[in-house]
Amino acid sequence: MKKSSIRPFAAVCLAGAVVVLMTACTGAPKLGNNLVSSDEDSKSTVRMFSPMEKTQPDVDNVARSASDKTVVMAEEALGVSVDYITYTAENYQDKTYDEVALDRARNDMDDLYLLNPDVIQILGEEGKLMDLSGLESAKNLRDVVKTANVVNGKLVAIPQEVVAYGLFINKDMFDQYNLELPETPEDFLECCRVFQENGIETPVGANRWWLETFVLAQAYADLYNGGNTEAEIAALNSGERKYSDYMRPGFEFLQELIDCGYIDAKKAYVSEAIDGEGPDFLAQKTPIVMAYWGAANTETAYGNPDFNMLVIGFPSSRGQMPVMPMTGFAVGANAEHAEDAMRTLDVMVSDEALQVYSETNKVISPSKNVEVECIPALKPLNDRINENVYVLGANANMKLEQWGNTCLIVRELLNGATVDECMAEFDRLQEETLEH
Amino acid sequence: MLLSIILVFCILGAVVFSVARKISLEMSASAIQNLSESLDLIECTIEAILNKEAEFQKLMAQKAAVADNPKEYIASYSKNQTMVKISLIRAGETEGISNTGETFSEEGLDFSAGGAIDGLLVSRSYMNYMGTWAYTMKCPVEKDGQEIGALYVEYVYDSLDKSLPNGFYDEKAMLYIMDAESQRMVLKPKGMGERSAGHLNLEDFFRANDILENDLQAEVSDCVKNGKNMMFYHDIRGKSSLIYMWSVNNGTIYLIGYVPIEAIQQEGRTVNHNIFVVVVVMLISFFLCCLLYYLNHRQHNRLRKEREAEREIHNRQLAEALQTAQAASNSKTMFLSNMSHDIRTPMNAVLGFATLLEKDAENPEKVREYTKKIMASGQHLLGLINDILDVSKIESGKVVLAIEEFTLNDLVSSVDAIIRPMANAKEQTFEIEVTNIAHEYLQGDETRINQILLNLLSNAVKYTPQGGNIWFRIIGLKQRSSQYEHIRIEVEDNGYGMTKEYLATIFDAFTRAENSTTNKVQGTGLGMAITKNIVELMGGTIDVSSEVNQGSLFRVDLELRIPQEQKYKRFWEESGIARVLAVSGNAESGKNIQMLMKDVGITVHTAFDREEAMCLVADCGRGKEGYDAVLLDWDTPECNAVWIAEEIRKTLPDTVPILFLTARGFEGMEDALCIKNTGALSKPFFVSAFEEKISQMQAKKDGAVPQEPVEHENLEGMRFLAAEDNEINAEILREILSIEGADCEIVENGKLAVECFEAAAQGTFDAILMDVQMPVMNGYDATRAIRALKREDAKEIPIIAMTANAFAEDEKEALAAGMNIHLAKPIDITLLRKVIKQCVHRKE
Repeated sequence: MKKSSIRPFAAVCLAGAVVVLMTACTGAPKLGNNLVSSDEDSKSTVRMFSPMEKTQPDVDNVARSASDKTVVMAEEALGVSVDYITYTAENYQDKTYDEVALDRARNDMDDLYLLNPDVIQILGEEGKLMDLSGLESAKNLRDVVKTANVVNGKLVAIPQEVVAYGLFINKDMFDQYNLELPETPEDFLECCRVFQENGIETPVGANRWWLETFVLAQAYADLYNGGNTEAEIAALNSGERKYSDYMRPGFEFLQELIDCGYIDAKKAYVSEAIDGEGPDFLAQKTPIVMAYWGAANTETAYGNPDFNMLVIGFPSSRGQMPVMPMTGFAVGANAEHAEDAMRTLDVMVSDEALQVYSETNKVISPSKNVEVECIPALKPLNDRINENVYVLGANANMKLEQWGNTCLIVRELLNGATVDECMAEFDRLQEETLEH
Repeated sequence: MLLSIILVFCILGAVVFSVARKISLEMSASAIQNLSESLDLIECTIEAILNKEAEFQKLMAQKAAVADNPKEYIASYSKNQTMVKISLIRAGETEGISNTGETFSEEGLDFSAGGAIDGLLVSRSYMNYMGTWAYTMKCPVEKDGQEIGALYVEYVYDSLDKSLPNGFYDEKAMLYIMDAESQRMVLKPKGMGERSAGHLNLEDFFRANDILENDLQAEVSDCVKNGKNMMFYHDIRGKSSLIYMWSVNNGTIYLIGYVPIEAIQQEGRTVNHNIFVVVVVMLISFFLCCLLYYLNHRQHNRLRKEREAEREIHNRQLAEALQTAQAASNSKTMFLSNMSHDIRTPMNAVLGFATLLEKDAENPEKVREYTKKIMASGQHLLGLINDILDVSKIESGKVVLAIEEFTLNDLVSSVDAIIRPMANAKEQTFEIEVTNIAHEYLQGDETRINQILLNLLSNAVKYTPQGGNIWFRIIGLKQRSSQYEHIRIEVEDNGYGMTKEYLATIFDAFTRAENSTTNKVQGTGLGMAITKNIVELMGGTIDVSSEVNQGSLFRVDLELRIPQEQKYKRFWEESGIARVLAVSGNAESGKNIQMLMKDVGITVHTAFDREEAMCLVADCGRGKEGYDAVLLDWDTPECNAVWIAEEIRKTLPDTVPILFLTARGFEGMEDALCIKNTGALSKPFFVSAFEEKISQMQAKKDGAVPQEPVEHENLEGMRFLAAEDNEINAEILREILSIEGADCEIVENGKLAVECFEAAAQGTFDAILMDVQMPVMNGYDATRAIRALKREDAKEIPIIAMTANAFAEDEKEALAAGMNIHLAKPIDITLLRKVIKQCVHRKE
């Protein structure tokens, strides 16, 4: 640098430093006599009750992030503030999320609830949920979604994703023992036998929630895919046919799994979802677990395995069978901020929001206008759904609530009840529905 | 310097670090204090609520005790936001009734932990029928001092939420309420800070926030167990935070959460930021100062070095000047010594022979011999004086070049005329070569160029032993400008040569080669200095190369102006010569002729031998344009010039002149010159010589014989007026003129001369001999006065300057004053006679 240009440069630097310092030292706010700044909160508040998972440091929950994004969209669009109220059972002795959700909805504690299908049906029957059919976004829903969430003619819940349950398979271990992916219950038992013979004592990881999917898949594979669905449901609702007849093969299948030691019933009985069986599956000690679609995308679940993972349908007489219960958001009928909650939900399940949700979470969208490609692991399950081969985990048209009751009765089986006792319970429940 | 800067930086860094650290510590303490106070406030608020709940419950119990129907009394309460269930169990019963109408029992309520509020037992926290966390306080119902039952009131933690601060530390702080017994989070922040999941219990809180240190967890458990408060630092999601466990109601419930330090120390960040800015600005300023200092220092250094270098140069120059001055002084001393010797030697001869002359005055032979020697010594003395004066004149810058037109022919001829006899005397060969010269007619100071050549050549003759060789070359160099002829003059000899040491000083004045050989040669030692000065005055260069006993080569490069007016071309046009045939066995010679003749517009065809020459001549006979003159090289041994001339003459008409070129004199050319219309020319070939020869031959052909001027023997019968203030000179002049038979009237100054001339009748004097430096009136003024006289002969009478002012300028001034001619003293009678004759002849 020439001498001549150093001096102006130095002068500019010094001037800049002076300006920076002067600027840094100014900015005293103009004060009136009253030093308190008024920050009246004019925002409407919507209380949203939703489950939470046990948290892990520095791990993002994709599903929650996806849902959060839609909440933020609603907050920005409507100027409302959404307060999260969360609950998760610490252990099996605690009240379940569904129980707490029922309590809170019945006591009008919150405005917006994320509910499981059985709770939706119960609360819908009790008239505790608002009819959402008037929402603009409801018009975009797929028929199957509407069907599953209509109770007494009211659309009482709208999901953000179509939850499909499947078997999460460690394909590497199947290949290691030259096993084909199971299509039927018999195939599945054979696979378990081979695994057990090869030192894997408990080939199926389970928890107290999701074993019902095996039962439901076998029970309703023909009902939903046989072309006579409505008539068969009508027969069940009228009592002409028994739920127990449908359920028995599945329970007997589960019983065999338990008897053969393919499932650790005691452990499953006290295990929370993913908490109980997840670590062994990820550690490749267990080749088979069951979980919902989104678990394949979620780091807190099975989103990042060290092996080749595939998600397939449950074994049934009609081959691999996805089971699709419908969780959904519902608005309390007597909610304090019902109107805001309705508007919030309308935004949260709009096509725009669902597009964001589905892209983030890589799930099947309930809107017929939103299509998102799934990850490779989910392709087998997705193919079956695209072929319209699936079983609904919950159906509001069935008078006997399926998802919750089956879960509880499977839990009884785990706790030592016989298959006959379980079937008797179904019969009892069916009779109760007939009486009502 | 560097260490000092590093030290200053270290000190500055240490000061800034300690200040920042002190501020940080103080602010940290302040933050802990601040948070503690906030938590105390919340604790007090919650405890106040709990106490009020307990007090109210006691009042209810009292009312229930006095109520007629306690169950109705209980049923009369409906649930509110705080008390969501009120139940009563009579003493001795396990079941009671609730205000909701349900049967109530203690089943599911755990009072075992022993927690109490205002003396009332508090149950472990549980999830109540509303799906929210609750606790129940049990209050005994006493009547007349007897416990008649227990009043159970269920409170929900949600009611406390309304009493907690909304937006704790700008909503950056997390605040949970934990049941100490179960370590479950019974009240969580609504709307998670970062929309992440909440926490189930203390373990989940630790896991979620990566607080995994066992000792820390154990310490926290210990504090919770003992109902103590605890606060510690830990990173939460990459941010340094303050985590607190604050006991409420003697440790039955805890306020748990964390606050990012930056949320508490917002002003601290600003302070640190400002300190950072100040430090950065200071550092920048410091570096700028260093930079400016460095630049200034560098500039000073540079100036100092420049001054030192300048001083060194000056010192060197002074030393050199001193050395030169000393050398000059030495040289001049040496010169004076030499001169003393050189002047004394001829002076001694003059005086010695004058003494002998006086003694042998009667012996004419001896007188003649002595006068001859006196004359020789006098001439030598005069040469010495002329050289000394010349150097003095040149060095003082008074020399002015007299630029006039001249021809190289005249220059070479005059030099040849002087040097060749000298060389011949020493039996040396003297060869002259002129090559590549395009223009023979040039402008310059011929006298000075002549002086240069004579100096160089006379030195060459002097310093070349008997029988040596001397070459004098004039070479045309490539012209730098079309208006100037660039010539190189080379004088080479194979004589004694010079040492390198002498070569270094050869052009300095007052130096002379000192060795046994050259000491035999007398000289002023000024010749080369004069030569160099003149060359440089002309804008030229001179250099020399020499080796001892091998010879020397002097090279002078000059650029001489080419005259614009080509008047010499007219002669050739008038003489009708336009084509010339040049026959020479030497191609170089032919080419030189071609070049020179081209300058005057004449076409020259060259022929190498007889055949070629005859072919060219024969071509003329075949109708081509003929030749107007023929030049034949006499010196080419392969060609028999006579034979060729005869052959040519057979073809070409007699009117065409044939000239023989020779460098060996005209002896032996008689036969050749018998051929009609032939002549001889000396080499080197010059157009002007050729012109003169053609002119003579044409004149001869026309019958006009040039008349040689008739030389009179003496000045007999003439009468002169001489102005001379020096008596001796006047005496000498009178005697010389009287010897010549002339009469002379001598006056002492110019004024008398004017008066004498004015007074004399017209025709009294044949000429006036005028000294210049005279008292009263000098010669110039006197001349002007005479010329101004109103007499017929005043303008015509020859006035001859006879003066010791012998320079060209003096001559110029003399002529300007009106004098006819300038003669330098001492008086050379021969020259004086010739000049007077010329003037008077002209007059006649």
